[in-house]
Amino acid sequence: MNDRPAPRRRFAEGTTVADLEAYMVPFVRHLGFKLNTEREFAHEVLQSEIEILDRDGDVYCPCRVRTGDPKEDIKIICPCIPFYLEQFNAMRKCWCGLFIREDVLDGAEMMGVIEEPEGPIEVRAAHVEDIAASRGLRVKIGKREIALFRTGNEVFALSNLCRHAFGPLSEGYVEGYEVMCPWHGWRYDIRTGHTDHPNADVQTHPVTVRDGVVFVTVPKPTE
Amino acid sequence: MDVKLYALSTCPYCRMTKRFLEEAGVEYELTEVDLLEGADKQAAIDEVKSISGGTSFPVLVAGDEVIVGFNKQRIKDVLGT
Repeated sequence: MNDRPAPRRRFAEGTTVADLEAYMVPFVRHLGFKLNTEREFAHEVLQSEIEILDRDGDVYCPCRVRTGDPKEDIKIICPCIPFYLEQFNAMRKCWCGLFIREDVLDGAEMMGVIEEPEGPIEVRAAHVEDIAASRGLRVKIGKREIALFRTGNEVFALSNLCRHAFGPLSEGYVEGYEVMCPWHGWRYDIRTGHTDHPNADVQTHPVTVRDGVVFVTVPKPTE
Repeated sequence: MDVKLYALSTCPYCRMTKRFLEEAGVEYELTEVDLLEGADKQAAIDEVKSISGGTSFPVLVAGDEVIVGFNKQRIKDVLGT
């Protein structure tokens, strides 16, 4: 809040736009994002962040307001992508558009409209090599727990929770296209989520792999 | 139609929205939330939350319509500019 004493400055005096860019860009790359290709626009956003740094002590998002609650406010320190990853994946950009998804070619398209699309979205979930061949990998997308499995070049995604007693299928035993739940051995086809137990199939999700990165499509970004 | 804009002085989309409204000759009431202090600031944040469900800017209120972000097309549609 403006009426509080000035907070401790988190960056050295004289920090520049170029310094922020050099610090943020390698980090957001790990999240599948890059700097907006509209450099003038990106520069304008970062320049705003420098002003905010001088005023508020840290690089808070220029498009969001600090609430004064430190737990809330850490979620709007740029780059805020980790805290809104599903939403930003769906929007294909961060809130300001300073960062856009790696696969967006023209950053100009990502400026202005900031509304979350309805319906299914594709979310970056893991690297192929993170998935051990005979075991699954548990990932969380929104509130969903998803188990990823790999056989050869194929990757499959299904609900991580066994319908018997909610055992974690990602920790189960994989043989061919079948996973055995680690708790009581219920079996599911990793391609279809089908089990021989009645009314107990688990949900599956479409998967695509591009350049070694696994993308999973889920019905809605934030559910 | 009453037009109200909740903005942050630091936000590029807020600046774009202001520029757009001014160029279109639209009269609007401006609240720059980050420049307020104390209870006024809190009241404005609460208002923005209740209107838009979040604390992201800009928030444009035109009659019954609420537009979050600089969505030029929707602003044009709603204001008929």
